[in-house]
Amino acid sequence: MLFRRIYQFLIVYCLGVTGLLAIKYATGLSNYVIPDLTLLFDTARRMLTGYFFDVLNTLSVTVLGQMVSIFMAFFVGIIGRKSSWAGSFIKVMAYNIQAYPIVALAPIIFILIGDGFLSRLLIASMICYFPLLLSVLGIMASPIKDIEHFYIATGRMRWQLEVKIRAFENLNKLTTVIAGSATLAMAGTIVAEFIAADQGIGYSIRIALYQSDLARILVALFSIGIIISVYQGILETVGEQIKTKWFAPKGGELI
Amino acid sequence: MRFECRGLTFTYPGAEKPVLENLHFSMAAPGFNAVFGPSGVGKTSFARILAGGNNGPGGDALIYEGIATILYSYNQERLPGWASTGNHLEKVCPPEKSDLKKELVRIFKVDALLGSRFSQLSMGQQNRMNLIRYLIQDFDLLILDESLANVDEALRESIILAIKEMFPAKLFLYISHNLMEVARFCKDILVLSRPGKNKGAVVVPGQNYETGYTADPQAIDRSMLEIMNAV
Repeated sequence: MLFRRIYQFLIVYCLGVTGLLAIKYATGLSNYVIPDLTLLFDTARRMLTGYFFDVLNTLSVTVLGQMVSIFMAFFVGIIGRKSSWAGSFIKVMAYNIQAYPIVALAPIIFILIGDGFLSRLLIASMICYFPLLLSVLGIMASPIKDIEHFYIATGRMRWQLEVKIRAFENLNKLTTVIAGSATLAMAGTIVAEFIAADQGIGYSIRIALYQSDLARILVALFSIGIIISVYQGILETVGEQIKTKWFAPKGGELI
Repeated sequence: MRFECRGLTFTYPGAEKPVLENLHFSMAAPGFNAVFGPSGVGKTSFARILAGGNNGPGGDALIYEGIATILYSYNQERLPGWASTGNHLEKVCPPEKSDLKKELVRIFKVDALLGSRFSQLSMGQQNRMNLIRYLIQDFDLLILDESLANVDEALRESIILAIKEMFPAKLFLYISHNLMEVARFCKDILVLSRPGKNKGAVVVPGQNYETGYTADPQAIDRSMLEIMNAV
């Protein structure tokens, strides 16, 4: 799982760089516009370690932001799963807010809170929160009638059991959504760093952008890609381990 | 204990025709009774309406006397997959029914399956496991909607006979498509015919065989003919 993610990223990255080089040589662009491989490797040698720590800095905010979003999404999703007015209100609100590009609110957050860790964390959480919430709401609001019937009929159903049944039956979906939301959280953090932070890989890319240094940007993208692939791979591996522990061992599928 | 149905009619929202129309019948005492009828006649709808009691869609058309708790089990139910079936049975078993559970596990021949997860069982094993957890609950009326489907005939017979012997004071409504089985083992058989046939519901007496019975082929044939005539 982990290595597959990294291979996939490397393939996409190499294709992207090859495409850029093809444009460079086809149109005769200078190294100033699109760097050649020598310049790219030279920049990587100089910048990769620094960018690596920048990405780790961004990743720490991403992980924290994602954890906040997961907690919030489950909290609101569990409350909103009922067909009560509160549940319906939460669902309608989540669908409508989801339709709005949350990243556009980032400047307001910077104006109110200023640069720094908290602003980045808030933007990262907000960006991955709503897609997570919609998935969790969808899962938690869908009864698993074949399992729940007995507990309802015998008066044994408690909200904890209901949540456990629905989460267990949708574990694959939940794992995929959580792993996918890591990308959103990372994107949110980087966008926040683009706008006004003074740390992280987004900030470093902003500096490279002001210097029109595509080689640095490509090296930064490489660091982001590798680290987010590792992070998503870890999330998926953890999900797989939970599934293996929770689900029954299968003797083999016939069909 | 008495259970009566007075003019029960039910139409699904948006449907043009009722699935159940003006049903009248009465079942007066505990026992192992059946609901029989062709596919699509509304047996499951009827069972679910009964399970809803007076607060369900049946409303005042259903009269229950001495029946406080109604449970409805059906053959597609599942136990959660995060623990073994034995663990789940243990959790839903009231402490005073622990011996009953052990006895049922033995009769239903699922002793060896208690360590397995529900998804690892065959359909017949799943149905047996599911039925056990209903039988160890407190109930007055238990509706068994194809609850013994996919169980082999010999085992099904021993299970039905055991249920009759162990729960003489309870009312059961066994929904099955097995004509021979309901004719042999059920006391009263409620036969549902399609709405518009002007037959409504007819209660046909079955042979109500108990453990150690001697079968009377002619009597069984008579019951089966009566049931088929009522469909």
